Amino acid sequence: MQLVEKIVKGERAAIAKAITLVESSRENDKKESRRLISELLNKPGKSIRIGFSGPPGVGKSTFIESFGRYLVEKNYKLGILAIDPSSQITGGSILGDKTRMIEISKNPNTFIRSTPSRGSLGGISLGTREASIILDAAGYDFIFIETVGVGQSETMATNLVDIFSLIVGPGSGDELQGIKKGITEYADIFIVNKNDGDLKSEASKTASDYKSAISYYKKSSDVADKEVLLVSAIEQTGMEKVIETIQNIVSQNKKNKNFDERRAKQFTYWIEEEVREIIQFSIQNKIKEDGSISKFSQRVLDGEIQMFDAIEAITQNLQNK
Amino acid sequence: MKIKNSENYIKWQKSFERETKIDLSEASSETDEGIKIKPVYTKADIENLSFVDNDSLPGQLPYTRGPKASMYTNRPWTIRQYAGFSTAEESNEFYKKNLKSGQKGLSVAFDLPTHRGYDSDDDLVMGDVGKAGVAIDTVEDMKILFNDIPLDEMSVSMTMNGAVLPVLSSFVVAGEEQNVNKNLLSGTIQNDILKEFMVRNTYIYPPDPSMKIVADIIEFTSKEMPKFNSISISGYHMQEAGADNVLELAYTLADGMEYVRAALSKGLDIDDFAPRLSFFFAIGTDFFMEIAKLRAARTLWYKIMKDFGAKDERSMILRTHCQTSGVSLTEKDPYNNIIRTSYEALSAILGGTQSLHTNSFDEAIALPTDESARIARNTQLILQNETGVTNTIDPLAGSYFIESLTDELSKKAWEIIEEIESLGGMTKAVKAGVPKLKIEESATKKQAKVDSGSRVVVGVNKFKNPKEPKVDVRVIDNNRVREDQIKKINDIKASRDQKAVDESLAKLVAAAKEDSNLLACSIDAIKNRATVGEVSKALEQVYGRHFATSLSVSGVYGKHFEGNKDYMNVAKKVNTFEEENGRRPRVLIVKMGQDGHDRGAKIVATSFADMGFDVDMGPLFQSPKDVAKDAIENDVHAIGVSTLAAGHKTLVPELMKSLKKIDPNSKIVVFVGGVIPEQDYDFLYENNISAIFGPGSNIIESAETVIDLISDKIHKNN
Repeated sequence: MQLVEKIVKGERAAIAKAITLVESSRENDKKESRRLISELLNKPGKSIRIGFSGPPGVGKSTFIESFGRYLVEKNYKLGILAIDPSSQITGGSILGDKTRMIEISKNPNTFIRSTPSRGSLGGISLGTREASIILDAAGYDFIFIETVGVGQSETMATNLVDIFSLIVGPGSGDELQGIKKGITEYADIFIVNKNDGDLKSEASKTASDYKSAISYYKKSSDVADKEVLLVSAIEQTGMEKVIETIQNIVSQNKKNKNFDERRAKQFTYWIEEEVREIIQFSIQNKIKEDGSISKFSQRVLDGEIQMFDAIEAITQNLQNK
Repeated sequence: MKIKNSENYIKWQKSFERETKIDLSEASSETDEGIKIKPVYTKADIENLSFVDNDSLPGQLPYTRGPKASMYTNRPWTIRQYAGFSTAEESNEFYKKNLKSGQKGLSVAFDLPTHRGYDSDDDLVMGDVGKAGVAIDTVEDMKILFNDIPLDEMSVSMTMNGAVLPVLSSFVVAGEEQNVNKNLLSGTIQNDILKEFMVRNTYIYPPDPSMKIVADIIEFTSKEMPKFNSISISGYHMQEAGADNVLELAYTLADGMEYVRAALSKGLDIDDFAPRLSFFFAIGTDFFMEIAKLRAARTLWYKIMKDFGAKDERSMILRTHCQTSGVSLTEKDPYNNIIRTSYEALSAILGGTQSLHTNSFDEAIALPTDESARIARNTQLILQNETGVTNTIDPLAGSYFIESLTDELSKKAWEIIEEIESLGGMTKAVKAGVPKLKIEESATKKQAKVDSGSRVVVGVNKFKNPKEPKVDVRVIDNNRVREDQIKKINDIKASRDQKAVDESLAKLVAAAKEDSNLLACSIDAIKNRATVGEVSKALEQVYGRHFATSLSVSGVYGKHFEGNKDYMNVAKKVNTFEEENGRRPRVLIVKMGQDGHDRGAKIVATSFADMGFDVDMGPLFQSPKDVAKDAIENDVHAIGVSTLAAGHKTLVPELMKSLKKIDPNSKIVVFVGGVIPEQDYDFLYENNISAIFGPGSNIIESAETVIDLISDKIHKNN
């Protein structure tokens, strides 16, 4: 397949077209997408996939711009997948990530792709996992996956990335109580941004709040410890520490096999998801062809039959098909 | 109350309702500002006003009726036409011609690279040199600009905000080298950086250091240049970007308050600098509203400055320049613009402006020609000499309607000013992006009203001219201008004392680090023949260059079209497209070069998204190469280039080249929108541009054209 070669060679247009393919909702494209991905899985790269999440207003994009700049200056190749919300009313979207990644978007060592969420559950858009496989095969060293808000943390951490980091602002320690349960559990790194100017002391206080919150987690030799880092995206400070921490966590987790186990679990989950999707699709088609739902519900409405009896009859019917 | 129950009023109401068949309570219309305009006003409407004092006279507090007791009866307003043409030589010719034909003051338009602190030889500004104004790279250009124009006699206004330091310095040095001491220089420098962050985007540094520069200039001029206005606090560009009159009024005054605070923080006494603060408003087509706006502005500024503790009367008086609205001009049936401009000019005069620029009718398309500039100037000469409007001061005073409207505008603006103050003042509000978003919302609403036909624009969405007249416009050879400028820069760099330049630039950097006054150091560097770009870059080392992040409104446009057939039709096409192609039509909207006017781009982006498109927004000031990378990585179906500063002839072919370079098989549809003279259409089509949308294009129709073009291209490829 020609496309595969072009991707592996790192051709920008080919990578872009391939991402379009894996994001497509058209049935034909889906089949082609599966073929493409299975070929690419035979050509794995060396990417580390890092998830970034955080509440609005903490300077997430500014941090990514700043950290990304640090990485490309060190000659790393960086792929960014940014997911923006689609409007629930019109279905359209405004994809404005590049307006906040001005410097790195110009750099030849980056590939930045925005994707509308298209109302998919969990806010992780369809095809994000596949897109990261494409970028991996194309030779990107780091793949950032950025989502809006923190609602998708669990999905992202368990399904998509090797390291999940939460970006927070100074003073967010108070909210910690509320979000602690879910997010602190999934996050590997907590990045406290805006450690600059007047906010410096507030930022350090927030960092120590997080530190004490994560101290409740049992230290274990199986998994690298969670880390809390202070950075300033505007002043570009603390970036070295971030990459150092990422590399540490990766090497520790590789040593204790957690890295591979996590990827293996994600793989199993992926298979489950695909199976579920295929079954769901065929069931939907069956339901459409069968027509027994509308037939039976009319009978329920007419009082001829009990509702739960109708449901059982319909299910029986479909299973026998 | 009394009047409403009077026999006369009841009788009138009955007649009104009989004639119109409309209940009086339903007969009001609502303005963009959300003000209800009633069919009739009475004495009751001017009782118990909050801000306006019915007994005050011209030149008396709260100055509603005018800053001076005699106003135009003593001396009419100054006809001050804003102009700048590519090179200093051409502009100088133009100024001298105008001064001979009765113009009293000069107003200089600079090109975008100068605004953004780049020299003409910088690669980043390839397409922008000499477009939209004059290129100034060194003091030598400034000297040519004012050749044979005595700077001790002529008041000069300069529209400069980003690169204020090197440009004002060049002006001072040009004066010195004409043997005019700086304390004799008169005129105004715009120096209003806050509104740049809101709308015009020709800033260089982040908000905080930018405010420091403003304060430095106020400090320096208040001590050394007593006849020079240190700042022109401008609402003009807000209205141009789509702000309604309340927003324009409120944000301009809130900006003014922030500048006053910045100057006070330098330890200046308020009465030492406040008399030299001047204002600049836009005058649009809402005739009475614009009159009321100028009256309200003076009324509110008086209150603001009194609260600041000003003692000198001159500190509390708002003096303003006005310009007729550029955004009200249409490309379609362009001679209508002469008429629009005339009414706008009359509004400005009835509102009591101190000076006025009237636009040329062809400015929706290009820089004015000699002929169109003459008509624009004569519009004012006729008002001054033939109509009698100068004989009576504030002739609309006492009008129930005007006084009530003045008061209502004041009240509404005051609420917004208080809102900004509660955010901690305008610098903070600007950093948070609040005003920018409000203005964009207002702009989108206005556009939706025109596109849906609920607002009539003659010759555009109604009463169209079946035979569009052809208009000759000024053509600029941008490459020649750039080459000439580069040669001049090279000559100066070869002949100057490089050591002196380096030392003076190092001093400037040190001053920035120490937080001492930058204008004095900048004047030294310019005197040594440092370039505008070198001075700006030196400060960039300390302050960095500012890149604005941008927020977008959504849903505002679509709301005006619920049930609209054309709109629904496009939305349906988008859905069908998605079913057929597995994704929505995806369009990248960009600005290229140094042109920061992003109102059009923003409106197109939000309205396309409302119609169901996926819209990528590029950052401002992108190079064609950056745009191509962005477009290809996101695999967009189309790129829409918004251009308002005449850079399209260089930048668009460059974009097409860059696209082919990354992807020789690129099938991306490219369309262009904005200010493009008809002569350039063929050139663009030859460069494979698929569609061109001029000013006044209906966005729904444009969206439909775009989706059809995309579909065609996809089908052709299959």
